[in-house]
Amino acid sequence: MSANHDLVREGDHPVYSFVVLDGLIGSTKYTSEGKRQITSFFVAGDIPDLHGLHLSVMDCNFSTLTPARIGFMRHEILRNICDQHPRIANAFWRSTLIDAAIYREWVTNVGRREAYTRMAHILCELIFRLRSVGRIQDHVADIPITQAALGDALGLSTVHVNRMLQELRREGLIATTGSRMHAIDWPGLTHAGDFDATYLHQRNPAA
Amino acid sequence: MARFFFDSGDRDLVLQDEIGVECAGIEEVRRVGFEGLVDLTRDTLKSVDGQQLFIEVRDESGDKILRLSLSLQIKMMR
Repeated sequence: MSANHDLVREGDHPVYSFVVLDGLIGSTKYTSEGKRQITSFFVAGDIPDLHGLHLSVMDCNFSTLTPARIGFMRHEILRNICDQHPRIANAFWRSTLIDAAIYREWVTNVGRREAYTRMAHILCELIFRLRSVGRIQDHVADIPITQAALGDALGLSTVHVNRMLQELRREGLIATTGSRMHAIDWPGLTHAGDFDATYLHQRNPAA
Repeated sequence: MARFFFDSGDRDLVLQDEIGVECAGIEEVRRVGFEGLVDLTRDTLKSVDGQQLFIEVRDESGDKILRLSLSLQIKMMR
């Protein structure tokens, strides 16, 4: 699936949930003026719209932010699995609780952190999550996300996104080549991003 | 669509935009530059009299095509 493809739209009554196999997905909302806010990222292994199992109307969109591979699962089948396997039902519950923790962190990030910290934070989160699902080694990630999408996730203009990336490069925290990003000073980047991975609730912290 | 580069800064430091932004025409360049200046102001404006912030736009051949700037004046009235 290509980038910028809507998988589910606000107002839909989906009978499927999807799992991310590869790529980056965003949950998004639009203001009445047509401005987009990306409210969270989802990476390989995540099931972003599990809440569709219990809430019949979708209250946000899910879109691909990079080329992605997606698997769809019928709600009916997921319900049967949950009925028969309480441990899986618990794992799903836990997963939606972590999603909520990530949303809380993002509200704090967009609402209260300065642009530079905000940018560093979101990069830390992405790298940490990609590492913990084994998608990247070290702190080098290929993230073909557009600056406009980064801006929509951070509540910043594209010009300021460029400036913040430039500042992180200048400080020697990241190096970029095309869409490849290398956190050359991981401790420095986490410090700059006010990043504490507790809210991601990883059982085996990778970083 | 063409790519434009939005350098930004104050008197101390100018950060070169190495990535650029695709814009459809000068109107869009102006809008994008203005949004950048608003963010720059929110982020870096200090309570210093005479401080100037600006965004300067280059096209792909390096020619400067637009400058948006803002300066702060603080004057005691008594």
